[in-house]
Formats: sequence, C-alpha cells, structure tokens
Amino acid sequence: MLPVEMIVNGTRRNGRVDPRKTLADFLREDCTLTGTHLGCEHGVCGACTVLVDGEAVRSCLLFAVQAGGSEVTTIEGLGGPDGELSAVQDAFRQEHGLQCGFCTPGFVVSVTALLHENPAPAEQEIREALSGNLCRCTGYQGIVRAVQRAAEAAR
Amino acid sequence: MKPAPFEYHAPETIEEVCSLLAEFGDDAKVLAGGQSLVPMLALRLTRFEHLIDVNRVPALSSWRRENGTLVVGATTRQRSMERDAAVADAVPLLAQATPLIGHFQIRNRGTVGGSLAHADPASEYPAVAVALGAELEIAAAGGRQRRVAADDFFVGTWTTVIAADELLVGARFPVWPAGSAFAIEEVARRHGDFALAGVACAFVGERARIALFGVGPAPVRAPDAEAALAQGADPAEVAALAVRDLDPSGDVHASSATRVRIARHLVERVVTRVQEDLRAAG
Amino acid sequence: MSASTAGRFVGQSVKRREDPRLLTGHGRYVDDVMRPGMLHCTFVRSDVARGRIVGIETEAAKDLDGVVAVLTASDLNPHAGTMQPTMLLTTPGAPLRPLADGDVRFVGEPIVLIVAESRYVAEDAAELVEVDLESEPPVIDVEHALDVGVAVVHPELDTNLGAEMAFPIAPELAALLDGDNAIRRTFRQHRHTPVPMETRGIVVEYEPAGGVLEAWMSTQNPHEAKQAIARVTGVPSHLVRVQGHDVGGGFGQKFFTPREELTVALAARRLGRTLKWIEDRRENLIASNHARADVAHCTFALDADGRLLGTYIDHLEDAGSFPIGATGGAGALVGLLFTGPYKCPQASLRTRAVWTNTCGRGAYRGPWMFETVAREQMVDAVAREIGMDPLEWRRRNVVPTSELPYTLPTGLPLDMVSPSETLEQAAEIIAYDEFRAEQARAFAEDGRLLGIGLGLYVEPSTGMMDPMGTETAVVRVDPNGQVTVSLGTGSHGQGIETTMAQVVAEELGIDFDDVTVVQGDSAVTTFGRGTGGSGTAVIAGNSCRSACAVVRAKAIEIAAHLLEAAPDDLDIVDGQIAVRGTPSRAVAWSEVARIAHLETARLPEGMEVGLEATATFKAPPFSWSNACHACAVEVDRATGVVTVLRYVVSEDCGVMINPMIVEGQVAGGVVQGIGGTLYEHFVYDDEGNPLTTTFMDYLLPTTTEVPTIEYGHVETPAPTPGGHKGMGEGGAIGSPPAVFNAVADALAIVGATIDHTPLSPDVVLGALG
Repeated sequence: MLPVEMIVNGTRRNGRVDPRKTLADFLREDCTLTGTHLGCEHGVCGACTVLVDGEAVRSCLLFAVQAGGSEVTTIEGLGGPDGELSAVQDAFRQEHGLQCGFCTPGFVVSVTALLHENPAPAEQEIREALSGNLCRCTGYQGIVRAVQRAAEAAR
Repeated sequence: MKPAPFEYHAPETIEEVCSLLAEFGDDAKVLAGGQSLVPMLALRLTRFEHLIDVNRVPALSSWRRENGTLVVGATTRQRSMERDAAVADAVPLLAQATPLIGHFQIRNRGTVGGSLAHADPASEYPAVAVALGAELEIAAAGGRQRRVAADDFFVGTWTTVIAADELLVGARFPVWPAGSAFAIEEVARRHGDFALAGVACAFVGERARIALFGVGPAPVRAPDAEAALAQGADPAEVAALAVRDLDPSGDVHASSATRVRIARHLVERVVTRVQEDLRAAG
Repeated sequence: MSASTAGRFVGQSVKRREDPRLLTGHGRYVDDVMRPGMLHCTFVRSDVARGRIVGIETEAAKDLDGVVAVLTASDLNPHAGTMQPTMLLTTPGAPLRPLADGDVRFVGEPIVLIVAESRYVAEDAAELVEVDLESEPPVIDVEHALDVGVAVVHPELDTNLGAEMAFPIAPELAALLDGDNAIRRTFRQHRHTPVPMETRGIVVEYEPAGGVLEAWMSTQNPHEAKQAIARVTGVPSHLVRVQGHDVGGGFGQKFFTPREELTVALAARRLGRTLKWIEDRRENLIASNHARADVAHCTFALDADGRLLGTYIDHLEDAGSFPIGATGGAGALVGLLFTGPYKCPQASLRTRAVWTNTCGRGAYRGPWMFETVAREQMVDAVAREIGMDPLEWRRRNVVPTSELPYTLPTGLPLDMVSPSETLEQAAEIIAYDEFRAEQARAFAEDGRLLGIGLGLYVEPSTGMMDPMGTETAVVRVDPNGQVTVSLGTGSHGQGIETTMAQVVAEELGIDFDDVTVVQGDSAVTTFGRGTGGSGTAVIAGNSCRSACAVVRAKAIEIAAHLLEAAPDDLDIVDGQIAVRGTPSRAVAWSEVARIAHLETARLPEGMEVGLEATATFKAPPFSWSNACHACAVEVDRATGVVTVLRYVVSEDCGVMINPMIVEGQVAGGVVQGIGGTLYEHFVYDDEGNPLTTTFMDYLLPTTTEVPTIEYGHVETPAPTPGGHKGMGEGGAIGSPPAVFNAVADALAIVGATIDHTPLSPDVVLGALG
C-alpha cells in the first residue's frame, strides 16, 4: 500500500492505496464520489472522464498513485455549492442531453474541458471532440445541441 | 476488470529508470501515458511485476527545436504536438498526424515516446517517424545512449529494437526544407479508431518518402513508389507501386484485401495532395 | 404537436425531474450502493463453447488472502428454484441453472462464483481456479443446427429446436408462391447486443434471523426481479425487496432477471452475507444476452402492377444456449407481422427458434423487429426487380387510412394507424424526389454513389401477455396537497418521474412541481409490469389517469360540499377548485387536501377520510403505433465507407406526453439501428470463441457516425383514454432497414447487391467488386 494525496474538487484527500487501484476506483470508493462511472474499464467509453490538472482524462486508465499531488475535478465539483447547475450542466438539461444519465458525467466533464479550450466550436468540431464518449440512449442529438447551447450562452 | 498486482516505482531521473530496468528486465514495464498499456493490464492480457512510471522524470517531458531538428522528450504529451504552433511550423506532419490519434482525452495523457515505443502497426507516429526519417534516442544504465534511425527501429507488431533494459528517451524529427509538402491520411471504422490503412508522405524536390501503416507489422516504406513520385509519376501509378507487395493480416474490422485496396486509394490521395502543394508553392 | 391536445403539462417538453441529480453526479446506480460488510463477486467462466467439465480445482483460490468463498454448482444448484421469468413459468425453455454443472454450453458460461473482499482480489482468485474442460464440437451455425447428426446443445431436450410455429399454406397461396410473379430473397441480420452504458449488477443483503432479502439491482422491472429472486432463493416473495433507483439503460437486457443476478442472490442467501456483483464490460458483451441473429427466406407474389398477392416467410432465430425468457425471441410476431402496413390478402409463415452453443438470446428493443427488416428490405429488392421506385411500390401497397380497420392476412386487426401519412411526411421532409435528382447528378458528374432508403412499419402493443398489459398507479395526496404517485415501473432513461408527473398534474389541475413519482422499488409500489415493451405512456399513463379520476372526483365532491355548489359546476385549474365562471367562489386544492386528512368533520356525510386512489389499467390486446424512417447515405466506392447524410423519422405515437422525451427515445433507437447496421457485430469463430469482446472490437456508433435526426409527427387517435401510443422501441425498428435500403439503393446504381449486415467496408467493397 502506498500513500497518496491529491486535491479533489478543492478538498485535500488522503489515502493509502494498492498501486493498481485506478483513480476511478479511488474517487468512487475512497472519496465516496460515485458520480464518476465505469462503463468499460478499458479506456473507450469515456464515462469515467475527470479533469486532472485541468485536462480531461480517462480515470480508469490512471492509477490513483499517479494523481498524487494533482488537482482533480469530478462531476460533483462542476456545479455550485447549493446544487446550482453549471452552464454546461444546465445546457444538457435544457436540450435533453441525457436519458439514463450513466454516460453523462463523462460527457459533462469532457464538454467543460472542450469549451474551455475552444469556446466556439463548429458542429463538426463538437462531434469529433466528443467521439471518445459513448452514449447509448440519446443518439447524441441532445448532447450536440447542449454543447452548442452552452457555447452560445457563454458569448 | 482490474489489473493484476504490481510494484510501483516513480523514479525522477533517466538513470534511475534505467537502473530499475536493468534490475528487473522483462519483469518490468515502463508506464508513460498508459493509454495503451493500462487497458491491456485491466483486461489481464498482460501483466508485469514492476511498473516504472516515467511521468515524473523532468528530463523526458519537454521538447525543443534545435536548429534543424525537433527534439521531443519521450513523455511529451501528444496534445502539445497539436496545440503548439511552433510544432506545426517545424514539423507539419507531426501536427497533422496528432489529431488522428484516438480522442482528445487520450492525447491529454498519451505520450509521443509511448506511442513510438508501443509500436502499434496501425498507429500514426511510427509512420510519421519513418516518413520523415526521424531518429530515436535510447538510453541504458551507466549513461549509455544510442540513436537508431526510424527505418531500423520498428521491427514487428508491438516490437522495436529497444532492449529489456533500455528506455526510449526521445525522438528527433528533422525539420524539412521550406517548401516541402506533407500529407497523412487514414481510413478507420469510426473517428479515432485504429486505421484500417493509412499513409504518411513527405516530399520535396527529389526526396520523397512514403510510409504506410495498418498494412503490416511495422510501418512499410514503399521505395519504388517513392522513386516514381520523385520522378513525377501520376498518383495512380505511384499508388499501384506502393501496394504491390503488401500482404497485411486481416481481422474482424477489415480483410487483407480491403486494407490493400484502401491503402492504394489513400496513396493516390496523398500523392495528389503533395504534388498539388508543391505546384502551388512554385 | 396539435394545439388541441397540448395541455398545461401534457404535450409540453417539460424539463426532466431526473436531470439535476444525474447531471451533478448524484444518481444512485447499483455500483454506488455500499452496504456494511459487503463482499464482491466475480465469476470464472467457460472458455470453450461446448464441453465436459472434467474437474475444478479451487484450493489455491480459497487460500488467497481476502477470499471468503469459492462456490461451484454443487454448492448452489441443488438449492435453486426455477430461474424462468414469471410470465414464462409454464413455457418450456432451456434448462437454466445457476452455475455450469458437468458441462458447459457457451463461452462465458459461469462455472465458479468467487466471493472476496474486493473485486481486485476476487479477480486474482479467479485466475487461481483451474477448470479442466474437455471441449467437444460446438453447434455454432444456426442454419445447420437442425441438420441430422449435429450435436445437441441441451442433452436434456434431445433436439436443438426450441420452438416452432407454422401456418398451413392454402392451395391458392401455394400456387401464387410458385408462380412466375413470385420473387424470392433471403435476408440475414447479424448478431448484436443491447450494450447499455451501465452493465448489469446486483447487491444482495440477506438477513438470516428475519429471513429478509433486500436487493439493489440494475433492472427495468423490480417486481419481476422480486418474484424471480424469491423463486430461486426460496425466500418468500413478501420478504424480498428489490430497488432499482437509477438504472443506466436496459433496452430489454434488464427486463427479466438474468442468470448471474439470480445466482448471486442465491449465494447471498446461502452464505448469509451481503454480496455485490457488478458485471464488467467484457462479461456484458460475451455473456449477458445477444439479439438480432435471424435469417428469413422470403417470398412475395405480385400481380402485374406490383401489388402484393401473397407472402411467405420462413424465419429462423438463433436462441443461443441460455436465452433470457424461454427462447429469448419473438418469432411468432415475426411471422404474424411480416406483411406489416401493406395490403396483402394471403400470407403464411414458419418460424423456428433454435439452440446453439452461443450466448443466449434476450429481448432487445423491438425483439420481433426482424419482420420489419426482412419485409422492408424485401420491398426494396422487389421494387428494384420490377423496375419500380421503392417509394412508389409502398404508395401502391400501403393500407390506405380509408381502409382501416384492416385485418392482416395472419388475422391481426390493424386500426388507428397512419402508415400512409408517415410515408408521405417522411418523403416530404427528406425531399425524396429532389434527392433522386441529386443522386442521378452526383453519379453522372462525379461518379459518386448516393442512396436513399425507407423503413415503414407498424408496431403492436404488448397487451397480450400478463402482466405486460397492466399497470397499477397509486395517487396519494398529502395533507398539504402535494401528490405522490407510485408505479410498478422500472425507469431507465425514459423520464418516468417526469412524464407521469405531467399526466397527474394535468389530470388533477395542480402544479407539476407538486407531484412526485415513486417507482423502481418493489416494497413501496404495487405489483407492476416494469418498463419495457413500449408501454409506459399507454399503460402506466392510463393507470395514472384512472387513479387521478377517482381522486379528482373526490376532491371536487369535497369542494362542492364546502362551496355549496354542484360538483359539475367545478373545475380545478392551477391548484384552485372554483365554480366555473365565478373564480371568487373557490377553495384551494391544498385546503381540500388538508380538510380531507385533518379536519374530517367538514367532509360530506359518510365520506371516507383521506384523498388517494389506486387504479389499474389493462391495455387492449392490440394497439398500434407506426412510423416511417427515411435515410440518405453516400457510399465511398474506394473505401467501402458508408456515411449517413440525413435521417428522417415521421412517427405517430398519438398524443405525446412530452415531445422532447419522445424525440429522445426515437433518436436513441435510430442510432442503435445505425450502429447495428453499419458497425456493431458480435462475432464468433467456428469454434464458438468470441472475437469481439471489448469496445475496441465491438464498435458502437459515436457522435461522428450519426447525423442530426429530423422529425415529423403525425397524431392519430389511440383506443386508450389519454390518446397515447407506445413508442419507446420504434426508433430501433425502422432504422436498420432504412439504412440497409439506402446502401442497397446506392450500390444498385452500379449493379452491386448486398444481402447481409453489418455493412462494413469489407461487405461493401465485396459487393462493388
């Protein structure tokens, strides 16, 4: 077991982990932040996406020990303290960008990162950027509209 | 799907990494971006008693332009190759190839060195390295270093000349002369998937290099096609020469014949583009 | 959306109640459930498709630190009750068993159950188990599974024929089918699988002293799960509780209670421990349920004008080894529905379900939909053969609205549908004629292959088999006037907490925000049908309506008493019960509710205290919805890549409760259909080894493979109170043939043909030659 310390959603988190424990499992179990979901555990579906030092990454492909000293943001850390939805979260709601909600945290985190880097993406750019996140319920229709809406709202 | 247990090491110098590799040999594996290795560990398709995380070695994580060469440290994130205008300026083919790699979340962690050392037959960077005539820098314990030309570096599926006690520390991409033309194209089942076939090309004056990927265990040079391109042959002819001796394996995604057919089409497209670019440049 | 049917809430795209928690990471899925002392399970599974278990060595696994139990068939199977679903208890099916016993019958069959302190340790232990299997030649090819001399998948059953239904062929029909104007084609649909983004999973807690079993499960049907768990564990069902909470998609895979969930429940009961099993993605692909593996030999007999005179379909469905639900399929409906929305005087059929040594078949969004695939692809093939545009053929043959009700040649009564209207609307939205011109120009000038395809279908409701046709709603008004609705549903993305609240708020005349829906929990809801089979709007919706009618009538009677007015003169609007035309003579809904509970002396003489009602709605045996899908593609001649350029759905689901949710359901189904036709393929080699076991090989469509979907809505009346029709599955029914037909249309320009899917570059380039 190795010690690990990181800041998650602004809070310092300490733990002792088996080095093979993924960051995803550390967040879900040790930090009891179960908003980050496991859809495949082999780095394809994107449901586990979190921000590590501001960059969107697949938390199932990082070991918790690798995130030591980093700032991690999960879906739980994106909205306001009283449950207010961020602009991206609200856009998803307005545009019906979610149904069962399982892939949603990964999408919302990815979109948050995307818009931070590219605040006015064209539709094709949106589609290409999000092709690493799988959804089975929405057919992506509401998701693409949500990104466009969030980008528009920020202007 | 959880990985098998391993001992974790996070050295901070190249020498420490190499000592660990010398000590553990085949029982150790370098962990860079993890975007290819960790899925295999999770699926228990592979396992190692020791993982050597090289992400905390500062000497590996940066890139610089050194006169006529872009020197890229092995753990440079793939994303920096697509973000920085200086890369696009120095080695356009590297900047063009990078967005084709997977998805942006993968490129945020995936490394240039990791992709080269992993040597997936369908990946872009090995073909780019071969097309440009890059060199790979390999270190071993005791301060030993060697450089290997890309043409000699990739020897088979997931196999390079890196020995069990060696570490890829960087890639040196030559900056081609002003007015050079570059193109890379691939066809995949979906955006971001591994290429069914792909072609990278660099061309200036009479120097033409074509590297195909996804159609053999390692990137495939096409010397006869290159000669034809250098002599101004038309794209269809260059394409026919490029695929003449190809014999790729097929799988659930595409048969051998399909890959060859697509490769031929892509060579034609790529050659058309570089010829047009050179004509436009005057 | 017709203005006449849109109300204050029903007909509006009300934003979902579920969203805030799901968007902020506060959903509660089964893997989020943490119970004290909980242990983690994994299975050791067969790596051969068929074979004898010679021996199982578990000592090394048992000795591993952190391992609590290693269970085999002898530990569990003798204690297991039946594993068949409730509504199929008397239907013969595969001999289901918790763990493989003596032999294995598909790659992935669970053999050993490991219980450990973490999933990590459980997987370490799994690697230490040695299973000695003697493999035997498996039955993999369903089209040869009935040949003489082929091995039998289930020795207990001595045949590989799981089910068969055949209608006789009248001599007149036989003559037509053998005649000169008969056209024959074979269509195959390949094996694929539902792939919800959340895999399956269960947490089971058994408290031995009281004999109570509590389970949390990723399920579409908590009441069914409760019954099934009770049967297999022997715990009386009233002592079993199943909660679904948030469920990450199902598409049919989680409608019945699958094997591993039942096995883990049984193990929890036997061990007296709390067990969690979360399926991983590889297990989900290999061993949950497969679908869509069908073959049909079709014959259309036509007159000289291309009108249908008679049809025959000989259908074969691959049931796999251990299907979920008898044979897992819906072969009977495939045969019965084959002529679909077209006029046809005579039809006959044979449908068979056959066992193979592969993963069992299970329900997947429109389990019978192969009838639409085979028929619509046949329509296009036939139209091309006789030189008629496929749209024109459909126009010529579709049952016109004026001829409804129309009895299908197989006897099913078709009524209150609008296939001809949706056909015209889809054609108009996609600009069919303009596309034909563009298609011709693109080929003539640039040699490009564009194609357009249609998929026209009618979809029956599932009123027929109990309990699918029934739902019970309890509408309960609190002393402060707020309403709780409880339903035996199992929402997994459809927004039931929102849509049913819309219905109740509308029916009662109160605010949407004052209504909350409780569902997904067998302990606090009445036995219900779960969520599936396109039934929520019709069946759950109407049960809510019926219960609301009782509550509303009582509230009005109370208000009439308080206001000294006649009940017929009162309306409930915006939470006020007022005399029509005299708004000052009013009493607040909340006041009526308060009095009903807390000032009962003011109630009318003899009236029962309280304000709540329970009502059940049973759907009529047949009600239909319908849609027309239209798809435009480009086929790249050099690479075989198919690009979907446009996708149009004109659908009729009667009155929409929430248009936003309706379109979302359609969109999801359409993209599953695009995925299934172009990308997804579960592949076995000849030995029955799965080759597509991860998301790297089983390809789901992403944002870049699908276009923006365009919708048109037609609204015809439904034979049910709210005017709704079921529509959750339709998107996945019309899409595969629309995409296939579009590609076939493109390839036909150069004389190439396709007859199987998925339409990968291999298949397309193979067709182009």
